[in-house]
Amino acid sequence: MSLLCIESAAEYCGRELTWGNLMRQWTRREDERLLTGGGRYVADMAVPGCLDAVFVRSEVAHGVLREVDCAAAREVAGVAGAWSAADVPDLPDTPYTLMARLATEEAVAGREWPVLVKDRVRYPGEAVAVVVGEDRYRAEDGAAEVVVRIDPLPAVVTPSAAAEDSVRLFDDLSNIAFEGETGEPIEDAVWRDAAAVVEARYRQQLLMPTPMECRTILALPEGDRLTVWSGHQAPHRLRAELAAVLGWPVDRVRVIVPDTGGAFGSKSAIFPEYVAVAYLALKLRRPVRWIEDRMESMLTATRGRGQDQRVRLAADADGHLLAYELAIDADVGAYPHLAGAMPLQTARMATGVYRTPRVHATVRSVLTNTMVTYPYRGAGRPEATIALERTMDALARRLRLDPAELRRRNFVAPESFPYRTPTGRVYDSGDYAAALELALETLDYAGWRTEQSRRRHDPAALPLGIGLSCYVERSGGEAGVLHEYGSVEAHEDGTIVARCGSASSGQGHETTFPAFVARELGVDQRRVRLVEGDTDEVPDGVGSFASRSAQVAGAALRQACGMLIEEARVRAAELWELPVAEVVWSDGTVSPRTGGTAAMDLGELVKATGPLQAENRYESGMGFPFGTHAAVAEVDPELGTVHVLRLVAVDDCGVVLNPMLVKGQAFGSAVQGLGQALYEGIPFDDDGLPRLAHGLLDYLVPTAAEIPPITLKETYTPTPNTPLGAKGAGESGCIGTPAAIVNAVADALRLTDADVLQMPLTPDVVWRAANLREAG
Amino acid sequence: MKITLTVNDEAYPLDVEPRRVLADVLREDCGLTGTHLGCEHGVCGACTVLVDGKAVRSCLMLAVQCDAKAVRTVEGLAGPDGEPHPLQRAFSAEYALQCGFCTPGFLMIAAGALDADPDQIAGLVESNICRCTGYEPIRRAITHATRGDD
Repeated sequence: MSLLCIESAAEYCGRELTWGNLMRQWTRREDERLLTGGGRYVADMAVPGCLDAVFVRSEVAHGVLREVDCAAAREVAGVAGAWSAADVPDLPDTPYTLMARLATEEAVAGREWPVLVKDRVRYPGEAVAVVVGEDRYRAEDGAAEVVVRIDPLPAVVTPSAAAEDSVRLFDDLSNIAFEGETGEPIEDAVWRDAAAVVEARYRQQLLMPTPMECRTILALPEGDRLTVWSGHQAPHRLRAELAAVLGWPVDRVRVIVPDTGGAFGSKSAIFPEYVAVAYLALKLRRPVRWIEDRMESMLTATRGRGQDQRVRLAADADGHLLAYELAIDADVGAYPHLAGAMPLQTARMATGVYRTPRVHATVRSVLTNTMVTYPYRGAGRPEATIALERTMDALARRLRLDPAELRRRNFVAPESFPYRTPTGRVYDSGDYAAALELALETLDYAGWRTEQSRRRHDPAALPLGIGLSCYVERSGGEAGVLHEYGSVEAHEDGTIVARCGSASSGQGHETTFPAFVARELGVDQRRVRLVEGDTDEVPDGVGSFASRSAQVAGAALRQACGMLIEEARVRAAELWELPVAEVVWSDGTVSPRTGGTAAMDLGELVKATGPLQAENRYESGMGFPFGTHAAVAEVDPELGTVHVLRLVAVDDCGVVLNPMLVKGQAFGSAVQGLGQALYEGIPFDDDGLPRLAHGLLDYLVPTAAEIPPITLKETYTPTPNTPLGAKGAGESGCIGTPAAIVNAVADALRLTDADVLQMPLTPDVVWRAANLREAG
Repeated sequence: MKITLTVNDEAYPLDVEPRRVLADVLREDCGLTGTHLGCEHGVCGACTVLVDGKAVRSCLMLAVQCDAKAVRTVEGLAGPDGEPHPLQRAFSAEYALQCGFCTPGFLMIAAGALDADPDQIAGLVESNICRCTGYEPIRRAITHATRGDD
C-alpha cells in the first residue's frame, strides 16, 4: 500500500483515534464554520443595495409567445425594473458549452437559446420576463403583475416520440440535434450464429440532481469590472463564459465561489438566468442576485440521465461474449447548448469491464420539451453500466449460468492493461475479478443463494433476489479538460499557500489538499492553507467535476511540491556555495549533506532569498475507476414493494488522499444510486408538464428511512497515468448501485423479460412485473 | 407590525411585514444566516429551528407568529463559553456533513429532541433531507451525542 494512503481518521488527524479525541477537535477544516452557522453561501452575503431578481416563467411546455406586458409590474412598490425580451434587445443569448465537446457547433447552429423567450416557449418554466426588486417579496409582487399570453403547442417529452419529428421544437430543423457512434457495426452473421442473443429495452429516466442549495449568483459591478459570487464547480469557466457573453477580456470578470451547498454536476455551466443577472447588474449599475428556489429548480434546473436504450448481447454456449450493441435515443432537453453531445460518453463506455470483441454503440441526441439534460453525478457512465449489467443478468438467466460466473468468464484480465476497447477508450489499470470476489465474499453470496433457494420452496416466504453490477467508469474528464492548475508558495513566516483551480461543493478540499501538500513537503499540516474558488487569487483552473480533483489537481499539487523542493535546494546551494547535489531536503528544511551549516527551514530560506513559489499546469491521462456492487432485495409481489436487505459496494479508485472523505462520498453516491433505482423520476402529463406540483413530496429523494445496510469495501489499483496514482472518486454509487438493485428485483421475480422493470421501481412497476410473471 | 423575537437569548425588536416567514426574518432582519432555505415548502427541513423548544420549519411559520417567543438557531447551539454542543462535535467526528447546507436543520431537530425525548431522535432524522452523506453518518453522530460518549 502506498505511503500516500492514509488509513484512518486517527492517522489523518495525527492522533490516536478515540471517540474522546475526536470529540475535542474538528475533523475537517470546513466543519467549525459549517456546524456553527458560520458558513457563507451566496444567499448569506449581505451586499448593500442588492436587488433580487425573479423570473416570470412559462406555465406551458411548448407554445407560441403572443404577449408579455411588464407595465403593471413596474408600478409595484419596491420594484426596480421589469423586462421582457422585447424590452432588452441587447440582452445576449445563452452561450453554448465550448468545454470538452459537451456541445457542438453543428448541434446549436440555427438554434438560438434566448435568455428570455422571444417567440417560442420550448420547456415548462422557461423565462419570459425578469423583475428585480428591493427584496424577494417585492420582486415577486412585481412578477405577479406581468401579463403573459402563450398559445400552447403539442409537447413531446420522450426522445423516442420526439425523434419522429411530428412535433418540431425548431420549425425547419429535425429534433435530432446530434448523432454519433463508437465501435464498428456488427454483421448479421454474428447474431445469427451465436448460441444465445439477449435483447432488451431500457429507460434511463430523467433525474434531478437536487443539491440542497439551488443555483445562486450575485453580480456586483465595480469600476470597469464585474465581481460574481456563485455556488459553482468551475469558477474559471464561468469567468470565461461571462466575459465572452459581455464581450470583455476575462480579467474584467472576477468569479468567487464561497461555500457551495452541493452540486453533483449541476452547477458547472452558465445558465440563462446567470446571463440575465450579469446583464442587469451592469445595466442598472447595482448589485443583483438570483437565488433559485426549489419549485423553480424543479422545472428549470438541469436534469440528468434521460435515455431510451435498445441493446443486443450475444454469447457462445459457454457464455463467452461475442458482441454487444447499444442504441441510444438521448433526451437532451429543449436546447442542445449545454450538453447535446454528452450521451456520446455513454457510447464510449459501452464496452464495460468485459473483453467483448465486437461492440457498437450509436447515439441520437433528441430535443424534447423539457429543461436541458446535463451531467449529473455519473454523467453518462451510469447509463452505460446499467444497460450492460442488466443485460448480463438476463444473459446468465438465458444460459442458466450463475451471473457471477458469467462475469468471471468475460472480464478484461489484469495483465491486459492498458486495454483498448472497441468503443475507443484505453483503460489504464484494473483487476475486475478481485473487486467481484471481494463483493461476493463481503455479501456472503453463497449464503444468500441458499436462502433464496429455501424461500423458493417455502410458499409463505417473500421472494428474494441477488443482483450484481460490475462497473468501470472514466474519471478526470475528456480531452481538453484533463489539465489543472496547482501552485505552492512558501512565506517568510513559514506558512505555505497552496492554490488550485478546483472548487469544492462539499468534498472537503480545504482539509484534503493542505494535508496532502503538508505530507509532500514534510511539514505540519497547520502550516498549509488552500486558496481556491477565486479567479483573482488563482490565475487558471478547470474545476471540480468528472471525479477529477484528487486525480488531476492532486497530481498538479504533487508536482508543484516537487518543483518547490528543487527550487529550495538550488537556492540553498547558491547561498551556501555548494553543488545542488550537496543540499538535502527533509521535513520542510534544507541542509548540507555533509553537515556544517545548520539546517534552514523553508521560511528562513524565503527570508534569505526572496519569494518562493512553484506553479504548475498538470495534464493528466484519464483514469478508469472500477468496482462491483451487489444487492440483496426482498419483493412483496402483492404490494409491489422492494425491501433492500443488503448492499455491498466495492470500489477501486487507486491512491486515496483522504479515505474518510472518499468513503463518505461513496456512501452518499450509493444512496443516490438507490434513489435512481427505486424512487426518483419525473412523470409527465399529456400536455408535457411534469407532475411535480408538490415539489419534494412528488420527487422522492431517499430519506434516512430508506437506507439499507450498506457495506463499503475497497480494492487498490493505482493509475499509471499520473505521478500520484489517484483515480476519481465520488460517483461510484450512482454508477454501480442502480443495476445491482434492479437485478436483485428481477432475480427475485425470475423475470425473463427485462423490459417490464423500468426504473424507478415503484410499487406500481414492481406489482405489474410480478403479476405478469404470475400470468405467464 | 412591531414584534420582539428572542433569538438565542437575545432580544430583537423588529418591525416586519406580517407576510414575512420566520426564516427570512432570521436571515435578513437578524443577520443569522446559519438557518438555510432548501425547499421553502416544508419538506427538506434545512430551515428547522426551535421555537419555545419545539422544532419547526421556519419556512412555514410567519415571524409575527413568534412574537414574544424564544427562538433557538444553530448560532445558539454552542454553550455560553463557546464550547461546541456535543452534537456539533459528533457531526464533525462522524463526517456527518459534506456541503453543510442541510446541517443546521439536522442539528436543530436533533437538539430539540435531545432536550425533550431522546427516544424520538432516530425517527426525527428521517424527516429531513441530506443529499450528500446518505444519512448513516448523521445517525451515528446523533446516537453518539445522545449517549454522551466520550
